Formats: sequence, structure tokens, C-alpha cells
Amino acid sequence: MLTGLAVIGVARFLQQRQDYENATARSYQREIVARNRLAQGRHPAAARAAVISQQHQRQALRDEISSETRDTALLVGAGLIAGLTGAALLFTGLISSMRRPLEDLVDASGRLAGGDLDARVKVGGLSETATLGGAFNEMAEELQRRAGERDQLDRMKDEFVLTASHELRSPLTSVQGFAELLLLEREKLTPKQAETVEVILDNTRHLVRLLNDLLDLARSDAGRLTIRPEQTGATGLIEDAVRTMRAQFDARAQELSQEIEPGLPQIEADRDRIRQVLVNLLTNANEYCPQGAKIGVKARRAGAEVEIDVTDDGPGIPEQQLEHIFERFSRGDAGETQRVGGTGLGLAISKSLIELHGGTIGAESTPGEGSTFRIRLPLVVPARVEAT
Amino acid sequence: MARILVADDSETILLLLRTRLEMEGHEVATAVDGHEVVDRVRTAGPPDILLLDAMMPGKSGIDALRELRAAGVETPVLIVSAHTEGDNGTDHADLAIDGYISKPIDFDQLFTKIAALTRPDPAA
Repeated sequence: MLTGLAVIGVARFLQQRQDYENATARSYQREIVARNRLAQGRHPAAARAAVISQQHQRQALRDEISSETRDTALLVGAGLIAGLTGAALLFTGLISSMRRPLEDLVDASGRLAGGDLDARVKVGGLSETATLGGAFNEMAEELQRRAGERDQLDRMKDEFVLTASHELRSPLTSVQGFAELLLLEREKLTPKQAETVEVILDNTRHLVRLLNDLLDLARSDAGRLTIRPEQTGATGLIEDAVRTMRAQFDARAQELSQEIEPGLPQIEADRDRIRQVLVNLLTNANEYCPQGAKIGVKARRAGAEVEIDVTDDGPGIPEQQLEHIFERFSRGDAGETQRVGGTGLGLAISKSLIELHGGTIGAESTPGEGSTFRIRLPLVVPARVEAT
Repeated sequence: MARILVADDSETILLLLRTRLEMEGHEVATAVDGHEVVDRVRTAGPPDILLLDAMMPGKSGIDALRELRAAGVETPVLIVSAHTEGDNGTDHADLAIDGYISKPIDFDQLFTKIAALTRPDPAA
């Protein structure tokens, strides 16, 4: 409306200018008539007076138009200023009505990116920001739906692994049990038959190991891999694992030594799980190292931790493999794994188990010289630890 | 040595358990589900040890044990489970279970546990 005032002002100015020019033109015509009369000598006094009067009148017209022009200019200026101010106010309003929804969007995007799939924005305000907010909410909805589907698939996978592992255990119990039964009467078997039964047993044990590893992994994924820590002698625990593995090392003519610092303290640990980790490390050393290799288990106290090293003088692990060695299904060279036949899960599970104890596990290796796996276990399991 | 009542829904596993336990010199009776376990204890009296599969169709080893415990039967019991310990959800502390054996069965471990349960009571 104020801008309208400026327009009216300009129109009025143009009208006044027109009126002024018309009036001035008429005044000149009258003066010319008067001057003609004067030149013809008719009523010279009146003609002279008319000429002067017209000159005065034009002066008055000039004064009037300049004053009116000034007023109009003022009016136009005021109109323009008022118009600009209005526009500015309008913009400020526009910006603030956009700013809030945009700030909400930025905030919600941040939360969504941070994993809060419930993040939504209030849809409203200008149609553009409302559309944007609506689109954001649809996207978040879709993300949440897919995350839900993925969670459900994960649960189904975990459930499947648990069920499959359960169902496979009964037939495996029979196969392993009867093969063992046959070997108990080895003297009645021919050497060929005895060897055949050994193969059945080896493969059954491998299947059981694979099953147990898959089960542990499924538990780990479902957050159900748990430990039951109790006070236990570190020395006995290590000796126990070494004793379990002794026969396998003898079979490959490998030297297995243990060097445990005297007076190693009690630690808080799940005996079965720590033995599982040690047996896993020793099995790897046994299988990946050639006949005649030397494997050593060393344990010592280091502050509030017990440090256990499993060292071998085997082929070692190339640097690029060493980085990934604790990842799932990470295995040695294709040729090696053909021969060795592990599951590729042992170290990943070992890492989870050690981390559940609040400890760490790491590996160092020099290709051609050997490898060392080091476990550090705290004497006391800290409250609330999570495996990765 | 010991009179053991073994229950499993698989005939093959029953045969395996019977064979190995008899080779160790135990006297073995078998049952294919929880109902048969309860019936046998009622008719023949409680054995020295119960070796029960945790999950059997019809009546499970756990259900049978619950019924026996409620009837005042205090026979030592080992539960054979396809799950490894910890997956059972509960430890059934009220059922006085003396040990768990997971499948596949480690017979050396089983014999050790049986020996521990049949050892003469030092107080007697």
C-alpha cells in the first residue's frame, strides 16, 4: 500500500507537470496577444499591463510547480522508504518462518545420522519447508522400516544357527560316539579299518568345532556370548591347556614347552573360555607350523595383568594378513588352509572372549622366523565390558 | 557299579550310551521320554543315577525331573543337552541338577562325573 502511495505520487507529479505546462502555454499565448495589441498601438497601457501580468502569472506558476514538485518528491520518497521498509519487514518474517523448520531439519538429520531412527521433524510453516520436512520424515520412516527388517533378519539368522547347531548335535553324537566305540576295539580292526575310523573321527571333530564356532559367533552377534568368571589359578589354567594339546604336538614331532613365572596370582576368569582361547592358539601353532617346530607358552605377571605368550618358530604371518588375523573367516594362504582345515573363526571368537574378560589379544610376526600371540588378562574382570 | 536310568528320544544314542556305560560295568535301564522315566522310577524304584536328555518330545527330561523331585525322589541327576551350558536360559536351581553333559558326549567327562556321584559318602 505504501508502495502504492509512491505510484500515486509519481502520477500526481506527472499530472501537475502537465497542468503547469498547459497553463504556461496559455499564459504565453495571452502575452503574445497583448504584445500584438501593443504593437498595433491599440490600448497600449492595458496591453503593457497584460504583458506584465502574464509574466507575473508564469512566475507564480513556476513557483507553484516547484513547490508541488518538492511535495510530490517528498511523498514519493516517503512512499519508497515505507515500501522498502515493508519489504524488509516481510523478508525478515519470511526468513524467521523458514529458519525454525530448517534448524529442526538440521537437528533431526544429526540425530538420524547418529542412529536415532525415531528422529522426525514437525511439518508446517511455508509450503517449501513443509514439503522438505515431509520428505525428511518419509526418508526417516523408510530407514526405520529397513532397519527393522534387517534386525528381524538378524534374529532369524541367529535363531537358525542356534536351531541348526542343536539339530546337528544329535546325529554328530552318534557318529562320533560309534566311531570312538570302534576304536576302543582297535585290536579287532585291520590297520586299514582303524585308519578309516580315525578319518571319520577327525572329520566329526572338525564338524563339531565348526558348529561350536558358529554357535559362539551367533551368540556374540546376538549379544549372548557370556562368560562366567570365577577366581582361578592362572598357572593351573595354562598347564591344563598345554596338557590338553600335548598329544597333538607329539604327533607332529613338535616341541611344546611352558615357562610359567612362579607364584602367578589367581585371576578372575571363565576357565572353560580361557582354555578355549589357549587351545585355539596352540591348535593354530600346531597346525600351521611344520614338523619339528618349537612352540612355547610363557606366562608372567605384568602389574595388574597376567601376560600369556604363545610363541612359535614357524613360517610366520605376512604383514598384510596380520592386520586382518582377528577378523572372521580370516585364514592363511589358500594352500595352507587346504592343508590345515580350521574354521577361520577361532581368532575372532578368541578376541571376543578375551575382551569380555576386559583383556586384550594381539599378534606379532616376522615371516620366516615365527609368530607370537600375546594375551593380557586383568586380574579382576572390570564391570561392564563389551566384546567387539 | 551303579544302576543308571538313561533317557533319550533317539534309539541310536540310547544304544551308544547303554554300550559305553555297560562297558564301564554299570547296570543300564533306558527310557525314550519323560513319561517312561517317571513310570520306571515308580514301578522299579529310583536308580543310583538319572541321565536325562533335556529335550524330548512328549515329556522332557526337565519336566520328568520336576515331577520326580516333587514326589520326593532325590536321585542324583545328570542332564544331557544339545545346547552347551548357558543356552538353557535357566539353571533350574530348584531341581538340584548335579551336572550337565553337552552333545556330542565327551565320555571321559561323563564317566568322571558318574564316578564323582557314586563315590561313597564320606560322612556315611
